[in-house]
Amino acid sequence: MFNNFLKIALRNLKRNKVYSFINIIGLAVGMAVAMLIGLWIYDELSFNKSFQNYDRLAIVMQNQTFNGKVGSQTAVPYLMADEIRKTYGSDFKYVSMSSWNGKHVLSFGEKKIAQSGNYFEPQITEMLSLKMLKGTRKALKETHSIILSESVAKALFDKADPMDKLLKIDNNFTVKVSGVYEDLPFNSDFQDLNFIAPWDLYINDNNWPEKTTDPWRSNAFQAFAQIADHADMDKVSVKIKDVKLKRVSKVNAAFKPEVFLHPMKKWHLYSEFKDGKNVGGRIQFVWLFGIIGSFVLLLACINFMNLATARSEKRAKEVGIRKAIGSMRSQLIGQFFSESVLVSVFALLLSLVLVQLTLPYFNQLSNKQISILWTSPLFWTSGISFSLFTGLIAGSYPALYLSSFQPVKVLKGTFQAGRFASAPRKVLVVLQFTVSITLIIGTIIVFQQIQFAKNRPSGYDRSGLINILMNTPDFKGHYNALRNDLLKTGAVAEMSQSSGPTTGISAINNGYEWDGKDPSIQGNLGTVAITHDFGKSIGWTFAAGRDFSRNFSTDSSGIILNEAAAKFMGFKDPIGKTVKADGKPYKVIGVIKDMVMESPYQPVFRTVYMLDYEWANFINLKINPKMSSSQALAKIESVFKKYNPSAPFDYWFVDDEYARKFGDEERIGKLAGVFTVLAIFISCLGLFGLASFVAEQRTKEIGIRKILGASIFNVWRLLSKDFVSLIIISLLISAPAAYLFMNNWLQKYEYRTEISWWIFLVSGMGAMAITLLTVSFQAIKAAVANPVKSIRTE
Amino acid sequence: MIQLKNIFRWYNSGANRNFVLRDISLDIKEGEFVSIMGPSGSGKSTLLHLLGMMDEPNEGEYLFLDQSVLKIKEKQRSELYKKHIGFVFQAYHLIDELTVYENIETPLLYHGISSSERKSMVADILDRFNIVGKKDLFPNQLSGGQQQLVGIARAIITNPKLILADEPTGNLNSKQGEEIMELFKTLNAEGVTIIQVTHSEKNAEYGSRIINLLDGRIEKV
Repeated sequence: MFNNFLKIALRNLKRNKVYSFINIIGLAVGMAVAMLIGLWIYDELSFNKSFQNYDRLAIVMQNQTFNGKVGSQTAVPYLMADEIRKTYGSDFKYVSMSSWNGKHVLSFGEKKIAQSGNYFEPQITEMLSLKMLKGTRKALKETHSIILSESVAKALFDKADPMDKLLKIDNNFTVKVSGVYEDLPFNSDFQDLNFIAPWDLYINDNNWPEKTTDPWRSNAFQAFAQIADHADMDKVSVKIKDVKLKRVSKVNAAFKPEVFLHPMKKWHLYSEFKDGKNVGGRIQFVWLFGIIGSFVLLLACINFMNLATARSEKRAKEVGIRKAIGSMRSQLIGQFFSESVLVSVFALLLSLVLVQLTLPYFNQLSNKQISILWTSPLFWTSGISFSLFTGLIAGSYPALYLSSFQPVKVLKGTFQAGRFASAPRKVLVVLQFTVSITLIIGTIIVFQQIQFAKNRPSGYDRSGLINILMNTPDFKGHYNALRNDLLKTGAVAEMSQSSGPTTGISAINNGYEWDGKDPSIQGNLGTVAITHDFGKSIGWTFAAGRDFSRNFSTDSSGIILNEAAAKFMGFKDPIGKTVKADGKPYKVIGVIKDMVMESPYQPVFRTVYMLDYEWANFINLKINPKMSSSQALAKIESVFKKYNPSAPFDYWFVDDEYARKFGDEERIGKLAGVFTVLAIFISCLGLFGLASFVAEQRTKEIGIRKILGASIFNVWRLLSKDFVSLIIISLLISAPAAYLFMNNWLQKYEYRTEISWWIFLVSGMGAMAITLLTVSFQAIKAAVANPVKSIRTE
Repeated sequence: MIQLKNIFRWYNSGANRNFVLRDISLDIKEGEFVSIMGPSGSGKSTLLHLLGMMDEPNEGEYLFLDQSVLKIKEKQRSELYKKHIGFVFQAYHLIDELTVYENIETPLLYHGISSSERKSMVADILDRFNIVGKKDLFPNQLSGGQQQLVGIARAIITNPKLILADEPTGNLNSKQGEEIMELFKTLNAEGVTIIQVTHSEKNAEYGSRIINLLDGRIEKV
């Protein structure tokens, strides 16, 4: 029996090539999209899960209140870990301070590589349950030690044994390799933790403990914790709330520091905080793509159902005959189900091929390393049950509907499937196009928002601007010599140094006072240390006053504000006003137009720029615009080789770094764009198939109309009209839905675009144009057919 | 074998009742070869469909092998039909996607007959109808007469007691028609009851009894 079903299903597929093509391709594309999204979601949900202590690891965070606004941060004072250990020791298994993951130069003899790594306390090896390939998890106990990831060990020593070799970090510390660990997984927050060095080495080298008069004032480090085996994360988190408050000075107590634990489980998907509360994060994209994936799959299933019911008239005769020669209804249902399952199994196979072929592009687009989980039973069970389910859902309507035919009516020829089935079919088409148009509108708005933020004036000139991290102490004290040598090459128009790159504010100082300051206001402002030539190299512009100048020796106690800072301080005429930073008085000499240093979607943060040649970490170079950048970089590199011989020449273009601020949004936009195109493609496939059946169904009618004198245009209009009205209905449903959804999405950006009416118009027109193109092919084919022939078909 | 008692069949169109069959009473014994004749619209096909359990009367009683067809459950009725009745159509109604062999085999599938048995049964019939050479062809590769031969082969493969034929030669030329009628005659001689609807006096003569219908009534028995 089943063989017979299979045989007839296969022959049917072969016979109706267009129909089969549309069905299988449409379903396969839908499944491939769902599968890619499924893999993406799986990857997102399994982020960090590879760590054994996943459930018990957390980062220590704190909320502080500035001017009534609660801000959440991971930066904490350097004594945090000690204090937690001392006071709440029984609730924690391990606590470790750490610096920030960043690029450092590792050198072994002549070999120099820049690698990202971090400084931790020795227990980090246990916390991250590192798989030690060489050495043990006790490897960091020695202050002058380092452990390397497998790939870094290989890069530095190739096949030689790395153990006990002496390395230099940033040409500063000499450390002994005491262990090698397996590379940490890509889908984890420690993906580029390529070496770990002891925290003691770092903190003592900086003389941090001696330098800081109040160890609880400055928040410059991170603390990671692993709670005790049977402790409850939420309870422990509440318990340690006042750990900092008890220690800070009165002034700093005003910021109401509340310490809490942010569990590893939430790092990736719930990373955003608002008013001190965890408000989600990437989880919204998981939901969004989950919904998009289900919708695209739904569209493909709708095609399947639509085409099958449209074809029911053709199959009706077969149903009648089968019933007349003794088939039970259940057997017919079985037959149609096996046909639809067969198609969905074909589609599944094809979708696996499609996914395998497109994964590299998808990974690039989504910045992931996803692969098909060929060996995972979960993948196969879900894939197969998913395809069976799709087959059953997609096949249910035709199976139940076709099998209910009365044989007498069918065989007598009085049967008319079209009229009865056309209403649900129309609903399905409207549903398809509602989804497609909503996706079109959404994608346009996402891209418009990105463009809007990109067009925002950044307040400085990024072209030809490069940043170099001053990664070794070798740079110290050579500012003028280095600058002169660089200018002499002709490759550099200007050089300066600053405490941070122009694409971020790395320090916020809470200790500002100024003339006429309202005592209830807390004086926290972003602080950037610069050299005299900073303004010239980045090309900032002044709203008032002047730039730092070597001609005024008093400029060493001068500061420059941005407009946001001047406004925050309430200065009408800021020039010449006195501002105290930690008690030290400065004179305002200039106000620059706001520069976008942080998020392009947020208002510019109030910032102070001051001269400080000691507090410099970054070099800003403006390349001579008359020279090609490759030529210029070669010349610059040779100068850097001289001044910083122990490190590789490592630089980046500010423009690229600035573009990364749009990375998340652009990635989402591109993915949504791809899915939208696929959704439209699937919908059009279905429409094409449907149009061909309608044309076929009305062959006789068209023939008669033509004999009565209808032109090709008349016939085309006759066949296209129905579809056009369906698109209009879809547009009417999708426009308000998309508006509500996207308006809600835009709310999270303070700097956001307007949703303008033309987007809806363009989307509607676009959908209409695509529909007409799809339908017209069939309509014109039917219209130009010889009427005599078509009448004879009856 | 078949007893119809006061059968009425009508359709409602608006407030009117259009009677297709009026007060039909009929007895058909096993082994008979009955021809139903009458002009278009006289209710021949409806009567045949009623007999074939593909349609139900609005009033009256129908006994088939002493079982009241109208009172038993749908499922029992299908069983009864499947076991005892074969249908032959004017337009052959073969399944286009299946070969001759597969078309003939299909009813056996629905009867749940094992694969080896099916093979020998189909082979027998093909042999008997002299169409072994055509077994792998599809219906559209056959002439009308050959298609009808396959249609009959399909109808009798399950050894039904009764064959209902709705203008079996209507689409055939006279020579093909004659062959089909001869075949029916042979089958009848072997004990199969046959009821056919026909327009042709000549074909009607093959039967042992002729029933004339006019406007839904039996004219003479």
